[in-house]
Amino acid sequence: MTDTSLEADGATALERVVTSTDANTLGRYWLGAGSLTLLASLVAGVLVALERLDLGGAEVFGSADEIFQFWSAYRVGLVLLAIVPIIVGLGTAVAPLQVGSDSIAFPRMAAFSFWTWLIGAGTTITGFLIDGGLGTPDAGSQRQAVALTLVGLLMVIGGLLGATVSLLTTIVCGRVAGLTLRRIPLFSWTLLVAGTFWLLTLPVLAANAVLAYVDLRGRTAVRFGAEDAIWEQLSWSFSHPQVYAFALPLVGIAFDIVPVSLRNRLANHDVVLVLTTLLGVVGFGAYAQSFFDTPGTPVMYQAIYVVDAFAAALIALALFGGLADTLRRGAGNLGSGAGNRPPAPMVLSVLAMLLLLAAAAVGALRVVDPFDLLATSATGAQMTLTMGAAFVGAMAGTLWWGDRIFGKVSSQGLGLLAGLAAVVGVLMIGVADLLSGFMGQNDFTGASLAAAGSPDSGVDALNVVALVGSVLLLVGALGWFANGIRRLTGAAAPADPWGGHTLEWAADASTVEVTSERPLLDALEHAGSAS
Amino acid sequence: MAAGTEVAPVEAPLARPRTLLVGTAFATGAAVMFFGALFSLYSSVRNDTLAWGAEWFPEGAIELKPGGSLMSTFAMAAITMAWAQYSAIHEDRVHGLIALGLTALLGIAAINQTVFYFNDIGLPIDHNVATTLLYVIVGTHMVMTGIAVLWMGLVLLRGFGGQGTGRHQDLVIAVSIFWYAVVAVYSVIWLFIYVAK
Repeated sequence: MTDTSLEADGATALERVVTSTDANTLGRYWLGAGSLTLLASLVAGVLVALERLDLGGAEVFGSADEIFQFWSAYRVGLVLLAIVPIIVGLGTAVAPLQVGSDSIAFPRMAAFSFWTWLIGAGTTITGFLIDGGLGTPDAGSQRQAVALTLVGLLMVIGGLLGATVSLLTTIVCGRVAGLTLRRIPLFSWTLLVAGTFWLLTLPVLAANAVLAYVDLRGRTAVRFGAEDAIWEQLSWSFSHPQVYAFALPLVGIAFDIVPVSLRNRLANHDVVLVLTTLLGVVGFGAYAQSFFDTPGTPVMYQAIYVVDAFAAALIALALFGGLADTLRRGAGNLGSGAGNRPPAPMVLSVLAMLLLLAAAAVGALRVVDPFDLLATSATGAQMTLTMGAAFVGAMAGTLWWGDRIFGKVSSQGLGLLAGLAAVVGVLMIGVADLLSGFMGQNDFTGASLAAAGSPDSGVDALNVVALVGSVLLLVGALGWFANGIRRLTGAAAPADPWGGHTLEWAADASTVEVTSERPLLDALEHAGSAS
Repeated sequence: MAAGTEVAPVEAPLARPRTLLVGTAFATGAAVMFFGALFSLYSSVRNDTLAWGAEWFPEGAIELKPGGSLMSTFAMAAITMAWAQYSAIHEDRVHGLIALGLTALLGIAAINQTVFYFNDIGLPIDHNVATTLLYVIVGTHMVMTGIAVLWMGLVLLRGFGGQGTGRHQDLVIAVSIFWYAVVAVYSVIWLFIYVAK
């Protein structure tokens, strides 16, 4: 890959780190930084789950406002500081290879985007830690610290937007001859679709944040930076339907991994292209903010929101059906490989798709009016399931492409164990929070039973289950991180450990003739039939 | 060509979209979405406020003339940018530079007019929701205009340095895509804020 860094000029190691524009290196930076912020977010999640065990008062934190700061930090951190950056990291390292490009488009902008995001992430975390966050200014949170958090958030959004523009341009313009958009690997395709919707929705979030910031700093706040309005304006980015747009690339990861693992082709490649595009459309969540409530009908009760939820469930079901069909047709090939066990990335990617299906089902249940779940912890359940699915998908992706990205092997067993811990953890949180929602527990419980919505006493046990789930998810993330560290000192990886079908596994992509979406498999079959 | 000499067929160049233009289109789309969000919020909050019978802008605070004058400036700048684009495509270096310089000058004039007007009306940012929205929308649009003017300045510097290459042509077309978005966004500001108030 092209690197316009200072390496040739005898620059120091630090200078090389800061100035690197190599896609693979930048991808590793995103993955490393994203995994650290993931751990920080999950720690916040565990603390909030711990606090929820006793709704008699603030036990872990000092006040309801502090609980709110950590509760919102968990959601913001999980989405914008962890999962999306990890997906961007995987994309930055893998997508150029998948389309046969020797570099990422606008490499300096890609590097600048990463550093902007990193400084923004640090600023956001600092804002949360110094009693700011997205809490209530002057009612517990420090006004200046809230402003700092908003500035950090804007930098995070700016960094993600820049990286997305680089990625999308690479996918559109960097393809080798013959690789039409219909033929690009599904991970790159879902990045293209998801990235387009990130470009359409992250600026909306930025507009919300700018408005809140200007109001907060402009003498007396009149509305946008006042009271609880800040979170009210931003929360649409961290719930249904927007989370589907953030998690969408996990579908591409699964559909890239499973057919190769089973040594067969995807039966309905074009259908998957259409379905993933539809999931992106459904995941456009910028309309679902309280400013667009019509008098008497909050936006969450409007037809579009309800239809969106059911459409997402149907699309997720159809996508899982496509994957299940591939599994069914290729099941016989599992025993013909190196072992009889399915490879760890395949197991994890199938589980990630199951989690996505569960998330979409919870999303559909949540909008059924008689259940009255919209303001309950079912909202958190849907968010955690969706982002958990994306995380497990990313774990599968790093196990799959990690050898190619890092050039060194990792432990598939540890990766699988970490992934399974994360899957069980996410499921426990999702199921417990959904059931608590049915019992009337609010999404944000505050510090007292009254603020929690006076739910049924049965939620105590469910909150314990959610806490255990949060700990398991954290353990899974730690295992994944440890496996990543171990990889850095691992043995050299083979060039193509999986017998890949797409260009990222080719020794020289420019010499491969692309006549379908699986050019390496075509070449193999052609060579087989010729001999 | 001597008889019997075999010439390898020349491969046709790949018909891929140009990287700079595609990247600019993506970035411009994101910028337009930013303003789309602000306009949607403006419209929604305004409707709610008026439905409650409350005041939006103070009587007489927003006048049509300054907004109209700015609209004329941006309209002229769109025409000069089209001239710059046409000149770049037809490799007319002198006209291209003049047109781009004029566009940048009109952009600076627009920023100057806006700053003067908002100093003149003296409407406080925290007067009500409407004024906060007004300052955010107009302020961020000024930032967008400033970015475009800086970009044009860089392209002009390249042009003066004799960089009349295909890359230069792409740069002019890319900055024109962004500039048209600046003008389009201002057109909506003019309609929403200055005309409809």
